[in-house]
Amino acid sequence: MSKQNGFVEQTLANGLRVVIEPMPQVQSVAAGFLVRTGARDEPPELAGVSHFLEHMCFKGTAKRTWRDITVDFDNMGSTYNAYTSKERTSFFGWVRVEDLERQLELLADMMRSAIPPDEFEMEKKVVLDEIARSEDSIEHRVYDQIHRTAYGDHSLSWPVLGTDKTVGAMSREQLHAYFASRYQPANLVMVVTGAVDPKAVIGIAERLCGEWPAAAARPERRRPAAIPEGTTVIQTDRFQQQALVLAYPAPSAVDVDRETADVCLSILGGHNSRFFWNIIQEGVAPHVSVGRVDYCDVGMMIAFGFCEPSNSEKVLDAMRREIGTLSSDGPSEDEVQRVKNRARTSLALEAESPYYRYTQVVQDVDVLGRPRTVADRLGAIDAVTVGSIGIYTEAWPMTGVGCLTSLGPRDWPRM
Amino acid sequence: MSTAETYHHRRLDCGIELVALPLDGRMTTAFDIRVLCGMAEEPADRLGVARLVEGTIGKGTESKTAQELTDAFDAIGAQCGSGVGRESMVFRCSCLPEYAERALALHAEMLRTPTFPESFYEVAVDLARQELTALEDDPGELSQKLIGPQAYGPVLGRHELGTAESLDRMTRDDVVSYWRRCFGTGRIRVAIAGLVDLERVTAALERMFAGFNAGQDDDRSGHPAVFSPGVRHHQKELEQEHMLLCWPGLKITDDAYPVQRVAVSILGDGMSSRLFTEVREKLGLVYWVGAWQEFPRHVGMIFMGASAKAERAEQTARAMLKEADRLGEDITEEELNRVKTGIIAKSQTHGDITQARTSELSSDLFHYGRPIPLDEKNARIAAVTVSDVRQYLAEHPRGELCMMTLGPQALDEAKLTGGDAEPRTEKAGGGNSGGGCS
Repeated sequence: MSKQNGFVEQTLANGLRVVIEPMPQVQSVAAGFLVRTGARDEPPELAGVSHFLEHMCFKGTAKRTWRDITVDFDNMGSTYNAYTSKERTSFFGWVRVEDLERQLELLADMMRSAIPPDEFEMEKKVVLDEIARSEDSIEHRVYDQIHRTAYGDHSLSWPVLGTDKTVGAMSREQLHAYFASRYQPANLVMVVTGAVDPKAVIGIAERLCGEWPAAAARPERRRPAAIPEGTTVIQTDRFQQQALVLAYPAPSAVDVDRETADVCLSILGGHNSRFFWNIIQEGVAPHVSVGRVDYCDVGMMIAFGFCEPSNSEKVLDAMRREIGTLSSDGPSEDEVQRVKNRARTSLALEAESPYYRYTQVVQDVDVLGRPRTVADRLGAIDAVTVGSIGIYTEAWPMTGVGCLTSLGPRDWPRM
Repeated sequence: MSTAETYHHRRLDCGIELVALPLDGRMTTAFDIRVLCGMAEEPADRLGVARLVEGTIGKGTESKTAQELTDAFDAIGAQCGSGVGRESMVFRCSCLPEYAERALALHAEMLRTPTFPESFYEVAVDLARQELTALEDDPGELSQKLIGPQAYGPVLGRHELGTAESLDRMTRDDVVSYWRRCFGTGRIRVAIAGLVDLERVTAALERMFAGFNAGQDDDRSGHPAVFSPGVRHHQKELEQEHMLLCWPGLKITDDAYPVQRVAVSILGDGMSSRLFTEVREKLGLVYWVGAWQEFPRHVGMIFMGASAKAERAEQTARAMLKEADRLGEDITEEELNRVKTGIIAKSQTHGDITQARTSELSSDLFHYGRPIPLDEKNARIAAVTVSDVRQYLAEHPRGELCMMTLGPQALDEAKLTGGDAEPRTEKAGGGNSGGGCS
C-alpha cells in the first residue's frame, strides 16, 4: 500500500490497481471501476461494442440476474450508473459509507458479467433505441459528424453508440470475446473516493478481485492523422437550426499545455467570454461556445454555433473574428484572472462531493496514469499567464481554414 | 445525518424571509434568492416577459454596466445561475465562504437597481425568438412545452419562452413594469447553507434590502390549474415518438404526499422500478422511460414519459398505462422498503453537496413556508406502509389523463384507453404554445 499526495494506492498481484482518495469531511462514498477501453479501441465492424457491453454488464452474472443487479443497487439506495466514451468505460455507485462493501461487491460481480445469452437480443433492441433517440438531437448528430470529419477512418471517429448497422449485426459471441479481452485486471482500476478507511478498502478489493486471473492489457492505441482542413456540409431538413462547428488541433489530455488551452478557450467561449458578449449579446446566435475534447494522444478545439439558418454567415464570421482577435492580441490580465477565480470555486465544489471527485480521479488515472488532488489542479490553473496563452496560440494556431462542419437545412457553405 | 443540524428561520425586518443552515466543515457557501413571481404573473398578452426580466436584470445597474457587474461576480469566483419557473424566479449562487457577503451584495444591487438597458432588452427579445426556433430541435423540451397547457391550463401551463406573437408585442416597458410589480422583499425568500456566519448574513441582508418595495407581500393563494384530459398528437419528423402522460396528484404539502412519493418511485424512479423493469428490461421497447412528479405551489401532477420508435409507440404507451393501473395490486414489503431506502439514502449522500442542501431549503420555504429538517422528511418516508400505498391508490386512482405525443405518427386512442375518439393532430411548432389545448 502506498500513500502519496493524499491518495492511497495498491496494485493487487493480478495487476488490478486500486486508487483511493479518503475524504474525511464528507459522509458518503463513491466507488466503481474504470475499464480502460472505449469506442476508439474497437474494430470497425464492432463499432459500439464497448457501449453495448456497458449495457450487458447490468444484465446478469454467474450469481445475479439483471433483476438482482438493479434490486441490489436500489436496496442500498445507490446513485449509480455507467458511461462509455471514446477511451473508457466507467461503472460507479454513490452510497452511504456503511454500504461501501455491498456496493463494491455488486460492481465487482458485474465486472465478471455472464453476458447472458437470453438477454442479448432484448438489450440490443434497447441500444438500437438509444441510437434512434440520439438521432433526434442536433447536438449529438453534429458532435459525431465532427469526429467523422476530423478523424476520418481512424477509430476515434466511431460513434460511441455504434450504428444501426454495426450494433444490429453484432453477435453475443463477438461481445463475449471482446469482454474477455478487456474486462480483466490489467485493464481495470478500482477507484474509491469518500469517507473511507483505505486499509479496509484494500482488504475488500483483495477479497473481491484478488482471484481474478491476470491477462494482457489491451492493444496499444494508434495515433490518428492530423485533422484535415476543409468544409463538410450535411444538408438535412430534420432540424430547424444550422449547426456550425469549427475545429482545430489542440493539446491532448496528457499535454502540459492542457490547462493553458482550457483557460484560453474559456476566455474565448465560456462564461463571461468574448463569444458571450460579442456574439450572443449582439443577438447573432443564442448558443455559441468553445470547448476542447482531449484524448490520450490528440485533442481538438471545437467552436460550436447553433443558429437560425439565415444567420449562418454572420455566426461563422463572428466566431472566426473572435478567435482571430484573441490569437493576435492575446487576453488581458483580468480575463485570465477571472477564469482562475471561477476555477477556485469549481474545485471547492468538487472537493465537497465524493461523486464529483470520483469522476475526476477516474479521468486523471486513465489519461495521466495518476490521480491529482484538487490543490494540484488548482496549481496548474494558477500557473497559466497571459504570456503562456500567447505562446499557446502560436503553438496551436486557430486562425487557419480549420475543419468546418455545417449541418442543418442550408446547403451552405459550398466550396 | 451524523451531526445535529440547526435550521434558522425568520422574517427579517426588511421583509425578506430567511432560512439558514450552517454546516461546519464545508468549503463553500451556497444561497438561493427566490422571488415569488414567475410565468403565472405575466400579463396574458405578454407571455415570455418573466424570462426577459430574468435574462436582462443582470445587464446593468444604477452603478455598474453589464460587463462590470459580471466581472464583479467573477472577481470573487461566484458561480451564479438563474431560472424562471411557473410561480417563482430563482437566483442561485455558490462561492467560497469568505465571499458570501459580497455575492449577496451584488445580488441585492442587481435585484434592486437594474436599468434594463434598451440595447440588451432588444437583444434578449431577438434571442428569445431564436430560442423558439431552437426549441423545435429539442424534442424533450418541446414535449414539455406542448403538454403544459393541457396539464395546467393557460396560466400555470405557460412556457418560459412565450410565443412569437407575444414577443412581437413586447416593449422594454413591459419588462420594467413586471419588475416593479413583482420584485420586493415581501416576495423574496433567501435560503443559505454551508459555511455561514448567520449574524453577518442576517445583518448584511437587512442592510442591503432595507426599503426595497417591502409592502409587496406574497399572495399565497397561488394560481389555479386547469386540467384538460385527452390525447393530442403533434406531427413532427423524428426518429422516435416522444410521449408524455400526466394526471393530477396530491399537493406536496398534503399529509399523504410521502405516500404518493413512494408510490411514484415504485412506478418509475430507477432501474428496479415497474416502468423500467417491464417496459425496458422485459419488453425492450425503449431506452428511456420514467415517472416523476411536478409541484407548482398548489398543484401536484404525476407524469410518465418515454420515447420509442414509431412502430412500438402504441405498445409502449399501453405498457406504461398498464403499470400505472396495476400498481396497487401487488406491492410487496420488499419493494416498498427498497424505494424508501433509496429516497432516504439519496437525501444523505447528495446532502454532501452544499448547493443540493440549499435547493432543498429553498423548495421547503416555497412550498411549506418553513424548512423541514431532513430527519423529519425521512421519518415521514420511513413511516409509509404497504397499506398506506394501497389506500392512497384506491383513493386517488389515475382517472382521466393528458397524453401528448410528438413524432411521426399519431397513436390510436381507442387502442390505448378503450375509447373511440380520434386523436387530434396538430403540426408542432405552429402558432401558440401547446396548440390544441385551449
